[in-house]
Amino acid sequence: MKKQVIISIAKQFFKKTFYMKGLLLLLFVFQAILIYITVNGWNAHEDHDHVIENHQDKARESWENNPDKHPHRMAHFGTFAFRAQHPLSIFDSGIESYTGNSIFLEAHRQNTANFSEASLSTALVRFGDLNIAMLLQLILPLIIFFIGYSSITSEKENGTLKIIYIQGVSMKEVLLGKSVGLFLVSALFFIPSLVALWSIAVTDDHSVGNAVIIRSFLITVSYLLFFMILCCITVLISAKSESSKKALLTLLGGWLLFFVIIPKTAQVVGNSMYPNLSKIEFRAAVEAEVSKKGDSHNPNDPYFNNLKDSILKVHKVTDVKQLPFNYSGFLMSKGEEQTAVIYNKQHRKLIESYRKQNSITNGLVLLNPYLAIKNLSMSLSATDFDTYVSFLLQTEKYRYEQSQYMNNLQMKFISNKATSSEGKINVVKSEYWKSAPKFEYSFIAIGKTLQNQLLAIITLSVWLLITSIIMIKFSNNFKII
Amino acid sequence: MYSILIKQFFRSKTVVLAFSILMVLGILSITTGKQFLTQKSAVVVKTIEKQKEHIKTQTNLHEDDLGLLLYYLKFSFIKPLQPLAGISIGQSDLNTHIQNVSILNLEGQKYDTDLVNPMRLQVGNLDISFLIIFLFPLIVIALNFNILSEEVENGTWKMITIQSKSSFKYLLKKFSVRIFFVFIILGILFLLAKLILDIPFSIDFFHIIIVSYVYILFWFSVCFFVILLRKSSNTNAIVLLVSWLLLVVFLPVLINNYITNKYPVEEAFAMTIKQRDEYHKKWDTDKKETMDKFYKHYPQFKKYGVKNEGFSWLWYYAMQQMGDDESKVEREAMYGKIRSREKLSKKIAQFFPPLQVQLSMNDIANTGLSHHIEFLNATTDFHEKLRLQFYPKIFEDQPASTINWNAYKPEYFKSTSDFNLLKNMLSIILITLFLISTAILKNIKFFN
Repeated sequence: MKKQVIISIAKQFFKKTFYMKGLLLLLFVFQAILIYITVNGWNAHEDHDHVIENHQDKARESWENNPDKHPHRMAHFGTFAFRAQHPLSIFDSGIESYTGNSIFLEAHRQNTANFSEASLSTALVRFGDLNIAMLLQLILPLIIFFIGYSSITSEKENGTLKIIYIQGVSMKEVLLGKSVGLFLVSALFFIPSLVALWSIAVTDDHSVGNAVIIRSFLITVSYLLFFMILCCITVLISAKSESSKKALLTLLGGWLLFFVIIPKTAQVVGNSMYPNLSKIEFRAAVEAEVSKKGDSHNPNDPYFNNLKDSILKVHKVTDVKQLPFNYSGFLMSKGEEQTAVIYNKQHRKLIESYRKQNSITNGLVLLNPYLAIKNLSMSLSATDFDTYVSFLLQTEKYRYEQSQYMNNLQMKFISNKATSSEGKINVVKSEYWKSAPKFEYSFIAIGKTLQNQLLAIITLSVWLLITSIIMIKFSNNFKII
Repeated sequence: MYSILIKQFFRSKTVVLAFSILMVLGILSITTGKQFLTQKSAVVVKTIEKQKEHIKTQTNLHEDDLGLLLYYLKFSFIKPLQPLAGISIGQSDLNTHIQNVSILNLEGQKYDTDLVNPMRLQVGNLDISFLIIFLFPLIVIALNFNILSEEVENGTWKMITIQSKSSFKYLLKKFSVRIFFVFIILGILFLLAKLILDIPFSIDFFHIIIVSYVYILFWFSVCFFVILLRKSSNTNAIVLLVSWLLLVVFLPVLINNYITNKYPVEEAFAMTIKQRDEYHKKWDTDKKETMDKFYKHYPQFKKYGVKNEGFSWLWYYAMQQMGDDESKVEREAMYGKIRSREKLSKKIAQFFPPLQVQLSMNDIANTGLSHHIEFLNATTDFHEKLRLQFYPKIFEDQPASTINWNAYKPEYFKSTSDFNLLKNMLSIILITLFLISTAILKNIKFFN
């Protein structure tokens, strides 16, 4: 293979493409849209950030403004966690529209995360989200197909392929040259998008740490791989097809199948194969297990009566009122501990069934580079399923700690003779509200993301390798005449 | 004449391929709808079961304290899904169809979501409405883009202009063959859907069918318009595909983004904080003040008076009530924003048939946002009814055993669909007519 020849074929393809009417216009429109999306997305992200921060502060303020109170009242006063978005969600918003934005965290009750964007939107939201990744994942592939479908067939139809061959250029060089040329043209489209990505990464005030740079770097590499694969496939299909029309039809059909039908079907199949519990069943499952273990609210419960007896024995007293700490606080902390374990177990099961539902899609990553880039892109932009699960787990952990903090206050400061949480008698000083820790959400570590998406990364590399091998094999058998 | 055209039509591999793709995906989409409906109705059955169990266990545990019992008791309110929801799943997969509420502060319970995999929601459903809105246009384009240009390129068009009486009539015949068979395919799909999803012959089903046919006709008119620009097959293909990409993929996304950013619903957060604060504040404020507010809302309960010392359920439920009552401003602001989103969506959708069809189908199948808001409002009424039943019993300290708990079965939301076919389809019909007449007028000189 001669490098010189490949470069000159690529150059020639690049130049020729711009003879096409309308291409410059298309490029211009594409970039104009990119600018609109980026600016708009940036503003929306800033606004969202603002709203989240404002409300988080507001909720905290009213928490801290509580007067001296019974700690159990504070445990039910509870905290809100509002979900912050990663700055890279401007680039790829992933499942962001469908995940709850606010969750109420209180004692012995696990609430759902509510007010997802989609739940407040009309059906239009289901057409998709506008972001840079959508341009790169759905629209640009089509543009690549349009530009490249006749790359080989037109040479065949014009008879120029023979002339090139006679001049001593091998088929390998033609295919590779055209692929490189197509990649260069597509670079004109996607480089500004990557610039937009990097400007988001650099302009961000690093509230999310330096990981944003690593994330952007990996996103860049992934998309480069993805477009290389697409360009090679386009040229290959053009070479395999009898006519330009057939090449275009194959490519468009492929787009429809790989980019639309397979992803949707895979998720439907996953859902019907591994149905998850509905909320009612989920609650019932938790309740059943709790009552099997023992109900701390039930005065005749054997489990908690045993607990009481052993506690009385240890402290060598006959009545809970003689204990050196508030017994109902102790009881609640035990109850909390127990239900939290049971809830977490069920919740893990639920997440596991979601994962199984997603496993069909994740498995198909091997066969479908679009799914690979889709999953990779949203994972790296911290807008994927794992990120959301990590948010939920962090809120539950915080909820648990907060409840136990209140239970401990109750054990320590509330008289054992207190019968009610009402009024100003059985109270804890309000300074303890201020010293209760705030909810701090941290995004999933980049290492964990990479671990989750290892398959997708390998897939993209393998795909590029395989397409190159096919290209070489194919050119060996290619009949020019 | 027609028999030859039909033969010619089916000789093309594209046609056979296109129709088989439609049938396969059609069956897949109907199965999706079926599976969705089955899952949802299975949950309804479970809900009825669980409520019975739940009431039984709770009444046993707290039989001597009605106030405490009703703190725990939850009652279900169900929005049954129509079979048509299997055709247009809409937003019904992400908005819960079962509310499970206690008589405590409602605003803290009403927006609880169901457990759904967000990945599934993001990918969206492959239901028939998707097939019609997204894929049928592509098939229509594939069948039509070259019906004139191909003849010109192959040189057969000249023969036709010489031989046939009217070349325009010939073109129309060719066109009508395609319309006929696409309509047949769509008809078969609806028939299958009717049988598999158990859809009764109702005015709603009829409306969905009409909306779909009008939409398909719209795409035929787009093709008709482009064909009669008399460009090459390649140009036609590109122009039609780009219009499809714009109308079905890109513009909807852009419009949704515009609406979402124009009306961000941050009031939801403000409301949810407020309803918490207003209830909890009452633990530390003057009891009489709380009770006065409560009696202002429910003058009929004034006779229960104000007890200043210690805890009472009367005071407790009055405090809970304040969470709802005093977050009203924020709540209305939130609903106002949602209404604005809806209004703007409807307004813009008029000009974009795919959006209009999606919104219309959801409207008919009761799976849209407006329907969910109605359900939320009905939940408020349901909740209020329960409160009014239980409040006096709690305040009078009646024993739980005096209440006939068997009567408390889950209740159903009765929905009313007031879909106006003509009003919703008018704009699409006008656009279609405009495209056809412009195409004919521009070409009048070519036809005799």
